Amino acid sequence: MNGRERILAHLAGAPVDRLPIMPITMQYAADQIGVKYIDYVTDHRVLVEAQLRTAEIFDIDYVSVISDPAREAADCGAKVEFFDDQPPAFIEDHALLAERTSLASLKIPDPLGGGRMLDRIQAAALFKEKVGKDKLIEGWIEGPCAEGSDLRGINTLMLDFFDDPVFIRDLFEFVIEMELRFARAQIDAGVDIIGIGDAAASLVGPQIYEEFVWPYEKRLIDGVKAMGAKVRLHICGNTRFALEGMGRLGCDIVDLDFPSPVHEGRAKMGPDQVLLGNLNPVTILMDGTVQDVLDKVAQCHNEAGPRFIVGAGCEVPRGTPPENLKAMLEYAKGVKG
Amino acid sequence: MTDLRQLFDAVVTGDHVTSKAVTAEALAAGVEPLALVNDYMIPAMDDVGGKFERNEYFVPELLLSARAMKAAMELIRPLLAARGTQPIGRVVMGTVKGDLHDIGKNLVCAMLEGGGFEVFDLGVNVAPEKFIAKVRETGARLVGMSALLTTTMPAMKLTIDAFAGEGLRDQVKFMVGGAPVTQRFADTIGADGYAENAPSAVVLAKRLIGVAA
Ligand code: B12
Repeated sequence: MNGRERILAHLAGAPVDRLPIMPITMQYAADQIGVKYIDYVTDHRVLVEAQLRTAEIFDIDYVSVISDPAREAADCGAKVEFFDDQPPAFIEDHALLAERTSLASLKIPDPLGGGRMLDRIQAAALFKEKVGKDKLIEGWIEGPCAEGSDLRGINTLMLDFFDDPVFIRDLFEFVIEMELRFARAQIDAGVDIIGIGDAAASLVGPQIYEEFVWPYEKRLIDGVKAMGAKVRLHICGNTRFALEGMGRLGCDIVDLDFPSPVHEGRAKMGPDQVLLGNLNPVTILMDGTVQDVLDKVAQCHNEAGPRFIVGAGCEVPRGTPPENLKAMLEYAKGVKG
Repeated sequence: MTDLRQLFDAVVTGDHVTSKAVTAEALAAGVEPLALVNDYMIPAMDDVGGKFERNEYFVPELLLSARAMKAAMELIRPLLAARGTQPIGRVVMGTVKGDLHDIGKNLVCAMLEGGGFEVFDLGVNVAPEKFIAKVRETGARLVGMSALLTTTMPAMKLTIDAFAGEGLRDQVKFMVGGAPVTQRFADTIGADGYAENAPSAVVLAKRLIGVAA
């Protein structure tokens, strides 16, 4: 079985020759081919080369266009600061929607319009050309809370939930429409699965999650699935308060970050949800030993049961010893599913 | 006469309109500004911190309470200054160089202010020289650094070393925090203290400058 077949079979509940492995690599991938991260985020050819090399070295079953959360917002006109060797970021003082009224005149950018979104779509197309039959190709979009934060400023958005719920709904409507168009373009270019990152959702607590965030995540996920792609949800941080809701979203894969125990995810989401995670990226993957990694993956697998994919809680950190990442494969090889 | 418990409630529930109005009324009625801080606002922020630790409050509620507290403090601060009331301490805060995460740092700033400190917030991506310049300018004896990335944690040590290089290390105490930071890391880099969250940062800050908590 190749990586693509393995993941698709596993998601379908069919037998596999070993457990799939899907750790997120970004800066780590750039380091594998010795390029600066700014080149990784600005030139899809660099990103693709780095992903392919990383997937080859560590026998990872998929490749991904994920790089940073600033693609859509940049094309909307947000001020983004680029750094030589780390991910670009927003400057909250200059948030695009510093005034809530600016939303009314904000236009959804054309994903093919020649900006940062297009560069991601080109990465998807190049992956398709190079490894479309061998590796699962993952596209990436931002979830409502994450993209809302990118446009409005995360500190301010947190207050908007109380100050102006109508604005929140209008903003999330805008985001959903934009992200669905972006997903459509990536799917047309050849991705098999869409990853949805909604990091800021881990900050909001149960009431706001249920009332404001979940309904929009649900629409986004339903929309992507209607386009025929699979969906992976990735919310960094502590999502213990949201696990039950996350299980009702209908995702093909739900990622769990290290503060969200796998056994809790399993208990709250039922036996069928495929779970991915949740090695502590820093204390286990980067700073632990090979044995720590093997033990911890075994524990996650044990807590998750068979509907499980090997991965870390979040991005594989720079400086992770290669043998630690290889230990994921070593574990997976011992497990037929 | 205003019922001052309203001030406590307004800070706890994050109602900045009421917290400001009640404070204005109380000050007009001649209530001691320091009493408002000590008897109502500090206890309110303590209560908020407790709710956060018990998962009754999450980040949005904390930011809301911080705003309510700041709205009242804006009225109180000039009066304290005019009377020559000294803050219990001055602290320079910032997220270290290369790091842009500021939610946790903002909360620590708010709690410190609620705890009676005068806070100089340098924002994010703060280079060692900026910390040094601000300490020189304000005479602060306490510096608080936040880092959320393992890749930016070393900048904490670089900042402490830069103070040493300027001969200023002994004039200030350093406290550090942020999700990946630990007591052990704080000890390794020669920081004076570590706190896990915003409420305990206030206790730590008071201990470091020798004020009873
Ligand atoms: C929101 C967020 C962002 C936002 C930040 C927006 C902003 N204005 O702050 C954005 C989207 C910009 C972002 C970007 C990135 N992020 Co980020 N982010 C988060 C997230 C989801 C929440 C952080 C947060 O605000 N927590 C809530 C606050 C209240 O907690 P806190 O900061 O820990 O603060 C508390 C205590 O630590 C303490 N404290 C904090 N500071 C201080 C200081 C002192 C002196 C003291 C005493 C105490 C103290 O008190 C606070 C209150 O109780 C976390 C994941 C998570 N849920 O933890 C990832 C996370 C921190 N990010 C991460 C990463 C990798 C990144 C990026 C590199 C991602 C990328 N590839 O694009 C970039 C880097 C940008 C940069 N150069 O800084 C990783 C860090 C991994 C690591 N340990 O190195 C995390 C842990 C996600 C993960 N699981 O991998 N991120």
